[in-house]
Amino acid sequence: MLATLLRHDWRSLSADASIWVVIGVFAAAIGYGTINGARWVAFQQDAISEARAEERERLERHETAIVRINRENATISAFADPRNPDAVGRSLGARYVVLPPTPLAPLAVGQSDLLPSYFKITTDARETVLAATEIENPHRLLTGRFDLAFVLIYLYPLLILALTYNLLSSEKEQGTLVLALSQPISLRTLVAAKVLLRFTVFLAAVVGLALLASLIIGVDLGAPGVLPRLAFWAAAVAGYGLFWFAAAVAVSALGKPSATNAMVLAGVWLALVVLVPSLLSMAATAIYPVPSRVEMIQATRVASDEANAEGSKLLAQYYEDHPELVTGDAQQAMNDFNLVRVAVAAEVERRVRPVLDRYSQQLTAQQQIVARARFLSPAILMQDALNDIAGTGAARHRAFVQQVEQYHERWRAHFVRLIFEKARLEDYSGLPRFAFEDEETGAVSRRVAGSLAGVAVPTVLLAVFAFVRLRRYPLVG
Amino acid sequence: MFTIARKEVVETLRDGRFRALAILVLALSAASFAAGWRHYSDVQRQHLEAQEATRTQWLNQPAKNPHSAAHYGMYAFKPKSRLSLVDSGIDPYVGVAAWLEAHRQNEFRYRPAQDRTAIQRFGELTAAEAFLVVLPLFIVLASFTAFAGEREQGTLRQLLSLGVATRDLVAGKALGVAAALGLVIVPATIIGVAALAATTEFGGLRADVPRAAWLAVMYLIYFATIVAISLAVSAWARSPRTALVILLAFWFANSLIVTRAAADLAAWLHPTPSAIEFQTAMERELSNQEEMRVRLDRRREELMRRYNVSSMDAVPINFSGISLQEGEERANEVFDRHYGGLFERYESQNRAFQWAGLAAPMLPVRSLSMALAGTDFAHHREFVTAAEEYRRGIQRVMNDDIARNSKPGAAYTAGAALWAEVPEFRYELPGVSWAMRQAAPSVGLLLAWCVAACWLAARATRRLGVV
Repeated sequence: MLATLLRHDWRSLSADASIWVVIGVFAAAIGYGTINGARWVAFQQDAISEARAEERERLERHETAIVRINRENATISAFADPRNPDAVGRSLGARYVVLPPTPLAPLAVGQSDLLPSYFKITTDARETVLAATEIENPHRLLTGRFDLAFVLIYLYPLLILALTYNLLSSEKEQGTLVLALSQPISLRTLVAAKVLLRFTVFLAAVVGLALLASLIIGVDLGAPGVLPRLAFWAAAVAGYGLFWFAAAVAVSALGKPSATNAMVLAGVWLALVVLVPSLLSMAATAIYPVPSRVEMIQATRVASDEANAEGSKLLAQYYEDHPELVTGDAQQAMNDFNLVRVAVAAEVERRVRPVLDRYSQQLTAQQQIVARARFLSPAILMQDALNDIAGTGAARHRAFVQQVEQYHERWRAHFVRLIFEKARLEDYSGLPRFAFEDEETGAVSRRVAGSLAGVAVPTVLLAVFAFVRLRRYPLVG
Repeated sequence: MFTIARKEVVETLRDGRFRALAILVLALSAASFAAGWRHYSDVQRQHLEAQEATRTQWLNQPAKNPHSAAHYGMYAFKPKSRLSLVDSGIDPYVGVAAWLEAHRQNEFRYRPAQDRTAIQRFGELTAAEAFLVVLPLFIVLASFTAFAGEREQGTLRQLLSLGVATRDLVAGKALGVAAALGLVIVPATIIGVAALAATTEFGGLRADVPRAAWLAVMYLIYFATIVAISLAVSAWARSPRTALVILLAFWFANSLIVTRAAADLAAWLHPTPSAIEFQTAMERELSNQEEMRVRLDRRREELMRRYNVSSMDAVPINFSGISLQEGEERANEVFDRHYGGLFERYESQNRAFQWAGLAAPMLPVRSLSMALAGTDFAHHREFVTAAEEYRRGIQRVMNDDIARNSKPGAAYTAGAALWAEVPEFRYELPGVSWAMRQAAPSVGLLLAWCVAACWLAARATRRLGVV
């Protein structure tokens, strides 16, 4: 019976121009979105290799200079001396740390256009090192990208609604519903068949087109973790699609005319995809506002003015805190510019720390509100899931920044020791290295599963509501 | 005609959906005005205080060499424009502070967006957003039945048989929608004006009145365009359902699709370099010692000629001041080339984006909204340029002092008197005519849309099919 229904429904659906328009629009959007994602990833990879090349070239240049200076016994200013650990740590030997895009990064640009994927590590203060950003037209950041995630979060539900808002009402308005139900089938079976058909068409279109586009742009399916992530991605697309089908059927089940259904569904879409996220964002920033960074700048400035004035006194204190660094004549060291600077920098950071902590506390508080309230909108959950799968979300970036902070600590400790030991570098083989430890697939899966569950619950509720209401569906009038 | 308008208004007011939507739009704009007002007040206060503090720190420097003072420098903090509480534009995505130091034009750092959660990428709920995105949906829903609905009910035939002129009918319908719209817009505007009036602690409102007035005019033209398009589709469509579906598709393409698609296309046409590429290219030019040597030699010759002496020792000024200033001048040329080139790229992207306004009336009105609120890229660039000019001024004062008052080889310090010679950094938002000139193509596009939409409405209603 179901097969007959499906066949028949497909015949009438495919005879209608609208489905082909919908699929055409969808295919174009998916293609454009995927290409945009791929172009962005290519841009990032170019920037990363440019950074690596710059670093390699610079380190080689300075290492060659060391050999030359030693051979010629040349004199050179301390700032430019490639053997001076202070100069090397501060600029000459600076290294880049990179958050590599995952193989599936083209699927969602996420936060990767706003949060930088590489930093140049020096002995400067952490906030200075982490303040770097990628160049981007601010107008484009404001607008957001037309990537596959945008197509899926915004356009996909609308196209679903366009094909389902009059699922029953049009048949009723044309008078064919009563005819169809004069056959030995229930209304629920009819609806199920219609939804099943449309869902299959959509899922096949999205997954097929997106996979095709991914293959064309050269996503490596064999890379570790790609296939499970793709499975999650397909599950997210299916789950989010089902939510909107359930919403459309639930509204249809109320038995209102087509135009009313369209209005209600457009309203639901606007509320869930546009209004709830932006109201939530507004609420989070209103409850826990993050002060402008100018406060941090001023605090740092005041602290460093004061600390600079106390220069050598601070060095004495620093020696007390770090007795392991005392070498040779500590008294003479008191006048050493480099040593004083290390002590001053440490003191500035100690004083500014409470101000900095307030920024991260406020942001964390905002994130907690959002983490709880995101279940109000499947669109937010979908965004989270897609960003997590593509590795372009805030969570992975936070993990990256944490590792960068640790590496920055190691970098500084390494050079502080060399500065205090009055060491001279003969080559750069001993510079600390950074390797990003990516999140485990398990952790990503758990987060994505949480988001998907958040979409599934309202879907089931809507489906149950529709199932119950369909019993009372007014066939005429 | 007024009878028709009154009928439209009464009908709309009786409609529960309309009432709910009207309350929603009003609530949204009230909330966004409140949030915008609070954010503006907080940030503006923080920035003004900081600007004052950085000035005090500069003035209170101990006696030191002027070049050390130049290295110590000052900060420029970006003031917020008052109308940013209506449309915050690109403000969250540009840095708020730049260090003005010797030798270097620093970027504006710390984009507020980086201190926010990922959901802000769904869009900021500003008053502009409520007006430009949500309100058009409201217009669509209030007017799609205008003709198509009457046609379906058969009342259109009745009306026309009564001898009502089509022109009156159309004008009446438009007036009816406009009146219903006014019930939302007028209170929202009052709230907006109240929010603006509550910011007088940051100076008088006078400068912002023309900007706000133009902003209101542009929004009204946009609303008129949407009303005309809705009526045209309603007159043309055979059933209200068709009218609604077409209008919803238009609304979605207009407010969401075209904007994003155009921004990416513009970036495709005018690609920008990566930060690392940009920095490396600039450093390469800055570190060219040979060019610097040639330029310094030329300066030496000039000086000897001017003072008519044959050796630099006889020149009565200190060459290290000249040399420092020459270094600044040369670096400035490099900065102008590189930052200027980058900013030109952004402008080309934004121009390309603006022309995509041919496909959607939302684009020109959005550009205009940001321009009039003082939160578009042109305004940002204007401020960045002013801050950089100020930095160059500091360098000139410091280096001139070194050249005039210090002796080669001897330690030299200057004091508070010299620090005070650097004027305070004051930045005024450019006038409304400047803003309008920058956004001139958008004004043209928006007017073109409005005219085209009205023409379409007139044409579609001239031969009003009754069935």
